Amino acid sequence: MKPGSRAKRNDGEFAYLFLRSPAAIVASVLVVLTVGGALLAPWIARSDPFDPGTYDLTDAFTPPVWSPEGESRFVLGTDDQGRDLLASILYGARLSLRIALSAMGLAAVVGVSIGLIAGYYGGWFDAVVMRIADVQLSLPAILTALLVDGISLTIISESASTEFRATVITVAIALSLWVNFARTTRAAVFVERNKEYVQASVMMGERPRRILGIQILPNVLAPLLVIMTVDLGRAILLEATLSFLGVGLPPNQPSLGTLIRIGMNYVFSGEWWILWIPATFLVTMVISVNLFGDFLRDYFNPRLR
Amino acid sequence: MIRKIMTILVLIALIAGTATATGTSESDSQSTDVVFRWATTTDPQTMDPHAVNAAPVLSFLNNIYEGLVRRNEQMDIEPSLATSWEPLSDGDGWRFFLREGVTFHNGDAFTADDVLFSYERGTSETSDVTSWFAPVTDVVVVDDFTVDILTSAPNPLFPDSIANWMIMSRSWAEENASTAPATDQENFATRNANGTGPFVLSSRSPGVETRLVPNTAWWDDLEHNLSEAIYTPIENQSTALSALLSGEIDLVNPVPLQDVDRVEAAPGFTVLGGLETRVIMLGFGHEKEQLDYSTDVTGVNPFQDVRVRQAVYQAINVDDIINVVMRGQAEPASQLLPAGLSGYSIVNDDRLPYDPVASRRLLTEAGYPNGFSFGLMCPNDRYLNDEAVCRAVTSMLADVGLQAELTTHPVRNYWGELREDAYDMYLLGWSPGTFDAEHPIRFLVSTPNEEARLGSWNYGGYSNARVDELLPEIQSELDPATRQAQIDEIAAIIQDDVVYVPMYTQPLIWAMADSVDLVQRPDNFFMLRWVNVN
Repeated sequence: MKPGSRAKRNDGEFAYLFLRSPAAIVASVLVVLTVGGALLAPWIARSDPFDPGTYDLTDAFTPPVWSPEGESRFVLGTDDQGRDLLASILYGARLSLRIALSAMGLAAVVGVSIGLIAGYYGGWFDAVVMRIADVQLSLPAILTALLVDGISLTIISESASTEFRATVITVAIALSLWVNFARTTRAAVFVERNKEYVQASVMMGERPRRILGIQILPNVLAPLLVIMTVDLGRAILLEATLSFLGVGLPPNQPSLGTLIRIGMNYVFSGEWWILWIPATFLVTMVISVNLFGDFLRDYFNPRLR
Repeated sequence: MIRKIMTILVLIALIAGTATATGTSESDSQSTDVVFRWATTTDPQTMDPHAVNAAPVLSFLNNIYEGLVRRNEQMDIEPSLATSWEPLSDGDGWRFFLREGVTFHNGDAFTADDVLFSYERGTSETSDVTSWFAPVTDVVVVDDFTVDILTSAPNPLFPDSIANWMIMSRSWAEENASTAPATDQENFATRNANGTGPFVLSSRSPGVETRLVPNTAWWDDLEHNLSEAIYTPIENQSTALSALLSGEIDLVNPVPLQDVDRVEAAPGFTVLGGLETRVIMLGFGHEKEQLDYSTDVTGVNPFQDVRVRQAVYQAINVDDIINVVMRGQAEPASQLLPAGLSGYSIVNDDRLPYDPVASRRLLTEAGYPNGFSFGLMCPNDRYLNDEAVCRAVTSMLADVGLQAELTTHPVRNYWGELREDAYDMYLLGWSPGTFDAEHPIRFLVSTPNEEARLGSWNYGGYSNARVDELLPEIQSELDPATRQAQIDEIAAIIQDDVVYVPMYTQPLIWAMADSVDLVQRPDNFFMLRWVNVN
């Protein structure tokens, strides 16, 4: 196979394979619905759940509209504070997605840079960084994230703002995700760096930075794209887990995980929707993102077809 | 071949293991061991009786340590380490006659010197309980079993005020380098205990599990039938309830209010409820020159203006909070102590009405027609539904333009953050340890003064000369009518000045297996000495 041939495969083939995979179609519809709903939250939702002036405590615990006591104002019911659950979920998903995307982006930038350098130069840098990556891989991601979160909140006062906490969580999640990017990039670079076009560039006196950035990087992008989709799902789950454990976002700006944590308190008392609806939304979003990632992996890797 | 042998060996080991396990469990059930397991939300942070003046700690330690006096099932004061007491004939103060033949758990004999030591320890710099000794000028050991406690003025209620002053052995504390309480770090007394009480601390893993066994040498008659008591803190109330329903634990305190019906419907469980003597209130940073967490107000502290404080008061719909968040199981509060306790000011019984219009008007008069933003700090595992209450408060304040930025902390960090003034407004619950109106005035309202041991929980730094003037008179006044008049005057000042926003008296809700028999005290103290498991 010629270098770059995967990326150059024509669009017709993508559409053909996509339409023949029901899982991919369902997944992408769900991704569009959940992610789209989250992104468009301010225009879809009837109220802003982050603004405490817009909801009323006397509306609390209204069940979803299909139950006998449901109200048409609150399609999915309200939570313990009288917030519209649909609005909370959309805004919460928006927050979760923002954190997950920026964490994934950060992890990708760090991981890919490290992977490129380690793969191209090898030597002591490669040895040291990859051993760190090995150690990190042996720790569960949630543990790393908890550690970072706990330490940074201890060092910098815990009363710091929501914005700051979001940043801490982003960094915490990024730190537990960079390893995959680094290892995959490094492996791909190993393959590429001995190919003729790289050798030729080296012969011609091209600067290493240029070789890595312009010639090798585009050729290792395909597997990275797959990791990105899979890791996006992981990042969303990690954020939800941290918030569920109470070390994530505060309750006045609930992410999906925070909503589920609040809902847990009402799991015995019959107010099931406060827990189950956000939980279902989270599961749907993560599974569909992952299914879509699976499809991408199959597409980019003909041997799996 | 080797694999086969290995498999057989493993199987044999497994069978042997099961057999031994069954063997032990049989012998367990044959003996008359009565193990009682209970759970609460908040782990007592320390085993040191003088380090943290908070109910979860004092309640727990009252099973291990004892004071000169104690409260019985009806909350009346009765003799404990002191057998009797009388006012001094010469000068102000009290003489306590101590119980003879009492030993600490490590075998040390209890004498008057330990009382003196516990006074010194309780008034040392790192102690959190100095306010208990505000009226005390000196402690004098008369002989081994007589001790005089001198007060600055006659103090008729002093014996009622020291039920939580627990006595520690001087020799034990000295041997273990714990002669002063440790608040920031730890010392030996943080994880170990050596009292005279009915239970002995047998193991302690903070935040995980604490085990107690009965003190076989206890001086009083046993009213319990336990051979071991195991305490587990379970932060999540739903988890705690599951543990109760599955039989893992015998008692949980508190039950989430929303789950009371479910527990009552389940066969084999009882809910024991009432009102706790604890008032939940909002406090202000009176002393601050400017707000620390505001995005739009700089250089001034709007909460120094009584109109702003009253606007906060009238913006909060306490009835809604009680009906929705507390599921109707709390009572509105107008003062810093619940109605019915001694010294409660009946003439000041009415709350200011909920009136958002008046609230906006007051804000406009004070110069904040559009409100302002500030920081509200709340615990999230200390009081019943504390976080939900704070979120409801945030929403109600937003309706009149007051934008509260809410931060919540678990209780293990909360008191520290309060001491560091990391708030503009905060949530506090207060249960008067003496069951008298003087207690919240001394702790929460009188001007903070370390020397005089006053106002130690007055974190906002409120100060009023008239209150400071009246407090010593209340402490020494013998005529009930005059005393009540003085208390009424202070209660009126607290209300007019909106020093705090008292919201409601919180309910007390325990759930337990039917096999458990015990006494529930309205201060939410859990006393193992009255627990029987049938």
